[in-house]
Amino acid sequence: MRGNTICRSLSVKHENFKTCAQSGFCKRNRDYADHASSLSSSWDSPYKLDSSSIKFSNGVLSGTLLKTIDTTTAETVRLPLIITFLESGTARITIDEERRQTGEIELRHDSKARKERYNEAEKWAIVGGMQLSSGAAVSRDAEAGSTKVVYGPGSTFEAVIFHAPFGVEFERGGETQIKFNEKGYMNVEHWRPKIEKPIEEKKEGEDATSEEVAKEIGEDESTWWEESFGGNTDSKPRGPESVGIDVTFPGYEHVYGIAEHTGPLSLKQTRGGEGNFNEPYRLYNSDVFEYELDSPMTLYGSIPFMQAHKKDSTVGIFWLNAAETWIDIVKAKVSANPLSLGIGGHTDTQTHWFSESGLIDVFVFLGPTPKDVVRSYSELTGYTQLPQQFAIGYHQCRWNYVTDEDVRDVDRKFDKHLIPYDVIWLDIEYTEGKKYFTWDPLTFPDPLGMQKQLDAHDRKLVAIIDPHIKNEGGYSVVDELKSKDLAVHNKDDTIYEGWCWPGSSYWIDCFSPSARKWWAGLFQYAKFPSSAPNLFIWNDMNEPSVFNGPETTMPKDNLHHGHWEHRDVHNINGMTLINATYEALLSRNKAEEKSLRRPFVLTRSFYSGSQRLGAMWTGDNQASWDHLAASVGMILSMGISGFPFAGADVGGFFGNPSKELLTRWYQAGAFYPFFRGHAHIDTRRREPYLAGAPYTEIITQALRLRYSLLPAWYTAFYQASTSGTPIVQPNYYVHPGDEKGLAVDDQLYLGNTGLLAKPVTSEGAESVDIYLADAETYYDYFDFTTYQGPGTKTIPAPLEKIPILMQGGHIVPRRERPRRSSGLMKFDPFTLVVVLGNSGDAEGELYLDDGESFEYEAGAYIHRKFAYSGPTSTLSSEDLSIEGKKTKQYLQTMMDVRVEKIIIIGAPESWKIKSEVGVSEEGTNKSTPVKKAALSWHAASGGKAAWAVVRNPAVAIGKGWKVDFAS
Amino acid sequence: MRGTRSLVVLKLALLTLSSAEANRPRGVSPEFAKYYKDPTTFTCISNPSVHLPASLVNDDYCDCPDGSDEPGTSACSYLSPLSPITPPDIPNNDNINTTIALPGFYCKNKGHLPAYVPFTNVNDGVCDYDTCCDGSDEWAGVGGTKCEDKCKEIGKEWRKNDEARQKALGNAGKRRKDLVAEAGRLRKEVEDRIQSLTTQIEGSEIKVRNLEDELRDVERREKGKIVRGSGQRKTSRINILAGLARQRIDELRDTLIRVRQERNSSKDRVKELEAILSTFKEEYNPNFNDEGVKRAVRSWEEYAARDKPSDGDAAHDRDLDAITQPDKENGLDWDEWEDSEESLDVDVLYKFEEYLPVPLRTWLDQKLRDLRIWAIENGMLADRPSDSGESRAVSDARNRLESAQKELKDNTDSINTHREDLAKDYGPDDVFRALKGQCVSTDSGEYTYEICFLDKTTQKPKKGGGDTGMGNFVRLETIFVDEDLPPDGKGLGSGQRIAMRHENGQHCWNGPNRSTTVVLACAEKEEIWRIVEEEKCVYRMEVGTPAVCEIGGGRREKGRDEL
Repeated sequence: MRGNTICRSLSVKHENFKTCAQSGFCKRNRDYADHASSLSSSWDSPYKLDSSSIKFSNGVLSGTLLKTIDTTTAETVRLPLIITFLESGTARITIDEERRQTGEIELRHDSKARKERYNEAEKWAIVGGMQLSSGAAVSRDAEAGSTKVVYGPGSTFEAVIFHAPFGVEFERGGETQIKFNEKGYMNVEHWRPKIEKPIEEKKEGEDATSEEVAKEIGEDESTWWEESFGGNTDSKPRGPESVGIDVTFPGYEHVYGIAEHTGPLSLKQTRGGEGNFNEPYRLYNSDVFEYELDSPMTLYGSIPFMQAHKKDSTVGIFWLNAAETWIDIVKAKVSANPLSLGIGGHTDTQTHWFSESGLIDVFVFLGPTPKDVVRSYSELTGYTQLPQQFAIGYHQCRWNYVTDEDVRDVDRKFDKHLIPYDVIWLDIEYTEGKKYFTWDPLTFPDPLGMQKQLDAHDRKLVAIIDPHIKNEGGYSVVDELKSKDLAVHNKDDTIYEGWCWPGSSYWIDCFSPSARKWWAGLFQYAKFPSSAPNLFIWNDMNEPSVFNGPETTMPKDNLHHGHWEHRDVHNINGMTLINATYEALLSRNKAEEKSLRRPFVLTRSFYSGSQRLGAMWTGDNQASWDHLAASVGMILSMGISGFPFAGADVGGFFGNPSKELLTRWYQAGAFYPFFRGHAHIDTRRREPYLAGAPYTEIITQALRLRYSLLPAWYTAFYQASTSGTPIVQPNYYVHPGDEKGLAVDDQLYLGNTGLLAKPVTSEGAESVDIYLADAETYYDYFDFTTYQGPGTKTIPAPLEKIPILMQGGHIVPRRERPRRSSGLMKFDPFTLVVVLGNSGDAEGELYLDDGESFEYEAGAYIHRKFAYSGPTSTLSSEDLSIEGKKTKQYLQTMMDVRVEKIIIIGAPESWKIKSEVGVSEEGTNKSTPVKKAALSWHAASGGKAAWAVVRNPAVAIGKGWKVDFAS
Repeated sequence: MRGTRSLVVLKLALLTLSSAEANRPRGVSPEFAKYYKDPTTFTCISNPSVHLPASLVNDDYCDCPDGSDEPGTSACSYLSPLSPITPPDIPNNDNINTTIALPGFYCKNKGHLPAYVPFTNVNDGVCDYDTCCDGSDEWAGVGGTKCEDKCKEIGKEWRKNDEARQKALGNAGKRRKDLVAEAGRLRKEVEDRIQSLTTQIEGSEIKVRNLEDELRDVERREKGKIVRGSGQRKTSRINILAGLARQRIDELRDTLIRVRQERNSSKDRVKELEAILSTFKEEYNPNFNDEGVKRAVRSWEEYAARDKPSDGDAAHDRDLDAITQPDKENGLDWDEWEDSEESLDVDVLYKFEEYLPVPLRTWLDQKLRDLRIWAIENGMLADRPSDSGESRAVSDARNRLESAQKELKDNTDSINTHREDLAKDYGPDDVFRALKGQCVSTDSGEYTYEICFLDKTTQKPKKGGGDTGMGNFVRLETIFVDEDLPPDGKGLGSGQRIAMRHENGQHCWNGPNRSTTVVLACAEKEEIWRIVEEEKCVYRMEVGTPAVCEIGGGRREKGRDEL
């Protein structure tokens, strides 16, 4: 006993979560792969495409795969195959099982579960890009035993389908990019009745061998019919039903994606060996308490989307399956072929995907750039929601602000210390006894007064609402949930009861349309007591987290709407909740129905498609330097996984950060797309104003930096919402041709602004090394010190400094006036920072709208391109918008908003003698003399670039204009 | 109208206004008016080397490194150590020192008190009526903002409140006088008590000296008697006694062995339980925040943190081992006692504990006393005047002396306590003496909080359950506070305040011992205004009391914030 000092060592409880060996189908599929590998070329994959069944029309190839299940009788199982070619250049392979499809199977234990393999994942994940390819065609020059389909942009893509054994290879420009079932790991566990074998007496020798053989080929029956873990038994009414296949990326050394994990951005190998993992990456959304770093363990969310990248080429696959999924990764060095002269060795990345149930349903993206792959994926699953402006400001959270007066006090203190923030948050303690849609009458007697005070400075409140509904008499929400039968059911098809924050609870089943409708009703102002329009929602625990469930979640044999087993839909479950909340927040009364408001929902659990609905954060991290460091890679990974609105708890959730760590975390957090400070209930208070000198001042600078760059952030969000571009981008994404930087994951580019930040993540640092991929000139954000790429540069980083460089060639919009919240900056003037590159040119974008409504869809926005041309020495603003019904009206409200300052970094020496520039604005009379604005030029000195300032050109931000530096 | 006015119109309006206001540009206070008199040139206030055309004053662009050219806009609001500054952010800067020249945007607030608004709040679309009741901070009307002049009503309300505050302060002042008088009376009481104690002590000292003499005399007189009396108390029934004693000792030993076994098995059970609880504490999931579990863990930690009876005292066990050996091995041969009558001396029996191992002696002594009383009562043992063989006369004298000595000591202790009390810090004018031990309480959330002055602070759950000590008073301190004063004046305000430190309250789960700082400010009566948990289990209580009026805790500052 250590007496009063409690030093709880923080580490994940591994015993609460399955290893691959403890997950029946994971072990079976790995064994199957091992068996196939051990036989190498003599392995005969039992899957053959029945050539006579192949049909092709309108971009869809269909046929039947036959799985031989008994070599002696040649008995086969029929597996319908569909390969879809989409107009976008994306292909999709879908494999089902006929017998289950048609329901000709029997379920054990009189189960009420559906008999089909789950085929509704696309209902949740896919929202677009499904237009069939008109140009795809079967090629005549296919070799015997194969079928070739030509498709994609300019017919540069090819899919070669091998019949026996079944396999598919995707080619781009004549080069093979992706191979399916090349290793023969394909495995569709067909339905079979359970044969109750008499327990045989063990005969010496004989039995052992037959068991071994069974094991060898992955037919370990011990986990077919029942599985127990942590005191819970899964009844598995449909028996073994996993699906798996190997996917090889020849010549690709790096793979990224399959968020959410803590390991490096460039994924590690999982089959052991020096520096590799021993376990496959797992995707099974879980509330992992005190999760560990550098681990393939599952976390709260799943995005089964992987990109493979090599110099100048990116391809990817999206495994559309919502069941528990594991992915093995092996990087095989292929030595140089002595026969092909001049070709050196290369690395193939071999991946092996398997899910517990459902279909094999894979989308294939052939790039060729990371941007293309992410865009194609986002086209299918949806772009990130364009959030309200406030959502990208700073969020102040804590478990818990204990009273409404506490909230008001924190609000006042931020103002008193001149620290900007937009949102204050309430964790679970605001409720009366953990009953959502209630307020604790003792601690929150005046929620409306509190929300009104926040609204006075255009600030918001976010309150937590979780999917578990307290099982307590007289609580109207649970009474309705029960009487309307809208909760998740157990395997006996009656209401499922589990344990969470409130104790005994039921879970809303958001797969059910009537449950979603009911849920939306709960958020109506009239129904949710004391809720104001500036209240938004945080959905936590939606994996779902069930304290007494297997692996802290629901039993897999629970039943959802439509009698799908929880096993089938688990990874989508979290998304269905925020989907319901999103729908609820669009309008909370009649008036809002006419003019919808952009919802804000934060989620912990997610799946492909969740990006359409809100923001995510990386869950319960820890106040330690390594967790700060890990957050950068995790957020970058979310960005390239199509869900860029991501953040980590600033300061670390568990534990007390030192003031230095807290300060550095704010500096890093200023570059998280979702920027929220949060803390566990047992930690000390750590609001920025409490840190004291010099920390409070430095933290405030970081916050004000974030706010001054909000125009750039908002523009990046706009781009993400229209093309899937990550908001913060890793080196490989920005420089896909830079072979050396493909694994760099500790620095990030902000959108297309050329701002490159390298968060300091080690204690006592005075400098950091930053990696520059290209031969561009980079400038220190704060003092314009010049760094010439490429290469690794050391830049000073004392505590008060965030290492940020500006890549030459960009124009960054800023708003310099510190306000109390982002809403109060709405009519502030802009500063444009023109960073001249090697070419002498620079370019940038600005997107702007009212930041809260959907009127931008009717044209109520400003979208400008700024371009500086070296040869003509002019800076101009061009319109990128498409006029709509509401454009004029919006521009009218913004007509007084001007550019107050233009800063040119790397300004030419020839400007030394200049004192003014010519300014012209559209709409002014041609005969009007060109306006003049003062120019001041400052010479380069001590490694710092020359710079110039145009004083108040006073051109409207919503108009076209030109600043002439030559005149 | 939303944003229909152009900047040009605004500038014109500004010019008209400034000429009407005797050349005082918008946002400039009378204090700084002198810097803005020159109609053609403006000189930056803190950077006189920078001259600007007067037309650049309040043109919504920052030209002075000290921000002084924009007293009426937010254009220079970013000039602050709180902002991320880059070289072009500081205009006309050639390594000029950039101290901000102006305290803020000056609101005239006609009909109320003038005040400064932070430049960051100028033209941000929010009417900052709490500082700028005339709405002049939103002169540009961004986004259609209109802030009408509310100084008339706000001023009226403020004056009403101020009057009440002044009245309250007046009353508080009077009450403080009463408190000081009461404190003086209490102090006088203590001083008087010291006075009388001094006299008493002198008397007691004389008395002690006399009684010491008396005791010496009596002792001398009684000595002979005692010598004569010795040797006459031998009894012939010693054998019986020895037999009985032996039996009794055996009984005691058996009991001891049994009790020891029971103790050992209890100890094992405690160990097992502790191990269970210790694992429980390591492995439970604090994230689940189950209050019942947390409470159990908390109690366990408190239990575990307490001093345990030294568990591993091997010496003690060795002693017990020795005791439970047969008597022979302890050097006590009962047969010898029972057989050889001649050499018996009963006094040896009285001293026989000395043969026993030390730890058992006290326990056995008590048993032997019981045994002796029993023996005497049964006529087996002769009674004796006293253990030490003292005569009644001597012991009476000794008793008298002892009681006199005790009285002297009590008086000395008492006088020391009172002297210490006089030397203690009871705050200015000794005023807290009058509050000592008085308690006030208030409800906040799910608890009732109580302070008993110069004693302790307590948290009492409304839903039932035990009180939680939030700290015991240790000392007075002076701290600096900076808070806005609510209209009713019930708040700390800004400046030096007297605070009472309370430490070593109940231990906090996963945290320190609770402590409370009670910050005092002037009020009409004792009342708790606010309780904040500043950090985990570190509380701050804001308490009003007349005791601190017009001294450290007085809030005589003007009711407006000076920025």
